[in-house]
Amino acid sequence: MTFTISAPPHKKENITFKKIMWAKVLALMPVVLLSVYLFGLPAIGLVAASIFAAIATEAAIQKAFGQKITIADGHAVLIGLMVAMIIPPEVPLWIPMIGTVFAVGIGKHAFGGIGSYVFNPVLAAWLFLSLAWGSIMAPASYPQTSALFELVLENGAGVMAGVSPLFILLAGAVLIFRRYIEWRIPVAFFVTTVLLAFLLGDSLSYVVLGVVVFGVLFIATDTSTSPTTKNGRVIYGIVCGVLVVVYGHFANYVDGTFYGLFLANCVASLIDNNTLPASYGTETFLQRKYRSIVSKVPFKDRLEVFLDD
Amino acid sequence: MTNVYVMEKIPEKIIIPLKQHDGCLCTPLVSKGDMVSMGQKIGDCDCYDSASVHSSVCGEVISIEEAANPNGTKVNSVIIQPTEDVECVDLTPVKDVSASKLVDVIKGAGIVEHYGTPTHKVLRPEGKQIDTVLINATSSEWIGGHYDTSAQYASQMIDALKLLMKAAGASKGAVVLRNDDLESINAFDHLRVDGKLLTVAPLMGKRKLSYYFKDMGSDIIVVSQERIYGQKILDLLTYNLTGRRVSFCCDPTDVGVAICGVKSAKALYDAVHEGRPYIETVVSVSGKVNSPKKILVKIGTPFKDVIDACGGYMGETGKLIANGAVTGVAQYTDDVPVTKMTTSITVLSADEVIRDVSIDCTHCARCADVCPVDLIPSRITAFADQGRFDECRQMNILNCVECGRCSAVCPSKIHLLQLIRYAKNSIENAYEDLSSKESPANLKLGCGCSGGN
Repeated sequence: MTFTISAPPHKKENITFKKIMWAKVLALMPVVLLSVYLFGLPAIGLVAASIFAAIATEAAIQKAFGQKITIADGHAVLIGLMVAMIIPPEVPLWIPMIGTVFAVGIGKHAFGGIGSYVFNPVLAAWLFLSLAWGSIMAPASYPQTSALFELVLENGAGVMAGVSPLFILLAGAVLIFRRYIEWRIPVAFFVTTVLLAFLLGDSLSYVVLGVVVFGVLFIATDTSTSPTTKNGRVIYGIVCGVLVVVYGHFANYVDGTFYGLFLANCVASLIDNNTLPASYGTETFLQRKYRSIVSKVPFKDRLEVFLDD
Repeated sequence: MTNVYVMEKIPEKIIIPLKQHDGCLCTPLVSKGDMVSMGQKIGDCDCYDSASVHSSVCGEVISIEEAANPNGTKVNSVIIQPTEDVECVDLTPVKDVSASKLVDVIKGAGIVEHYGTPTHKVLRPEGKQIDTVLINATSSEWIGGHYDTSAQYASQMIDALKLLMKAAGASKGAVVLRNDDLESINAFDHLRVDGKLLTVAPLMGKRKLSYYFKDMGSDIIVVSQERIYGQKILDLLTYNLTGRRVSFCCDPTDVGVAICGVKSAKALYDAVHEGRPYIETVVSVSGKVNSPKKILVKIGTPFKDVIDACGGYMGETGKLIANGAVTGVAQYTDDVPVTKMTTSITVLSADEVIRDVSIDCTHCARCADVCPVDLIPSRITAFADQGRFDECRQMNILNCVECGRCSAVCPSKIHLLQLIRYAKNSIENAYEDLSSKESPANLKLGCGCSGGN
């Protein structure tokens, strides 16, 4: 009888990076189908060109540098798909191809591949394209969710990510439920955005858009560009929300989402480094204050039950 | 009450390691060819840091040699070939003994905690005073012995706790149960201790044991808490229960807390009431065997025979693990014996063996979400991988309970637990010869514990 020996743990969860990436691609498929319905066949061409360019770039770079070719893990496919989803569908096909080459080549690999990039490659590509070809990248229309049905199918959507807030929300909810993406950033981000927009008097019909929901659930939660600590993720969500509203309030919430998230990426590691958790049992600032106030209360004996010694 | 089966069949040979604890190796008291009877002391050591070893069967010593041990090393062991007759040494119950005599009884009966420290060393550490004794019944392997009813289990535990308190000279004692273990909670509820009704109190919020001692007006209480597991849970358990922090290079006895397991409590009860040394233990056998069960076996029984008693291997076997699938040690042979530190045996089939390849960390923070002590395992591991142990220490790596949850949930399949252990070992090794380098006065500064106060 032969036995395998290895270090513990001997049982692990059946989850891989590859699985998470393909799950995200699959979750975005309903939205892609809806946008084909809304924008017609050019949308398919856009997605295909974008994904093709992403895979080809990744393979070429990894081949050139003698690395293991990792196109099967789905990350390049996801980048390609997401870039296609935030580009207006009427653009010529070389636009998404240049975009994804930039996303995968500069955004991802120049910074060191998965886990190492500072800026979300998708956002980097969008920013690059918008700055270089601003007139082509301007969407045909900016949407407004005026009727409840528009949550399902946004007729005024300018990009594929904006066609259906509800479907993106559902896809994200399923991913959160399966723990493929985490919940702190989306919740903090969405609550901050809606609350601030409401306080500033922006009509929510300009805020609850497919693109914003897409940003909340799929771009902000990108793991490499968001903090690791629990508190850090909540703060990051709030920072995202504030920046998006600052841009959105003075311009529009479609472009505001992308610019705001890009700026939030800049401070992600700063937040991460400053929210490292203390050793367990260490009192937080508020607990210390509370204790010092309570210790001055004269009728302390009676409070003792609540004070737990 | 979970059924505990008794292993009837006597194996062909019994391997009794002369060291079943962390400490000194015992010297054998028998030699090849001797006949030994059940319960006879076959290994002893004068050193305080050891526990005696007894023969669990009656038979002939066929050799004394280095044999495989479930912790992965080889240990000098007495190998006994059992005979048919069951001849037992005279067992004399030791009732009403003084506290200091009780410590000798514990050492003489060879009682050892499942985490490795001899029980008398936990109760009476040299130069430290214990004031609280805890029986930790929170782990999944809570059944330490063979009981007829759950009420018997509860009352024996309370009796054992009293004995442990007496031996330690401690004034307070508590049994700690698991919140979801309703069977034991019901068993302890409404039990009478010294004429007082006992109630199981769930640990709530920031309340610690001292609150419950005061609240119930009793020195013996039973509390329940969330399940925590891992290799190094003692420090966390001490903090959760008593609010006392255990510093680096110290253990719970430094802050006056003695933590015992159900198994050693049961062994002490048997030693005092029946005079029987620690020669049998319950192991839970799980995984790919034909009939998984909890089984009472004699210490020294090879894993092979335990698995045969559980119906044998099912299908093609991939891994044999001692002490749990999450943190246990994988065995290279099934000829290793059950020792006092063995709590469970897990068998994995060949296709359950993990052969993942690690990729880069994607900072998905799943490890930080599951960590029971609020660490950032991904970042610590990155530092450990680069050998930056000081930074690991600044990030509280020494709080790690080695539960392995971070490794289990990692989508990049990084060997987090292994790297964390590597860093912890390196840090501990760096401090090993500190005393010779530094003056004792400086050494005191590093330690926040104050010897039981």
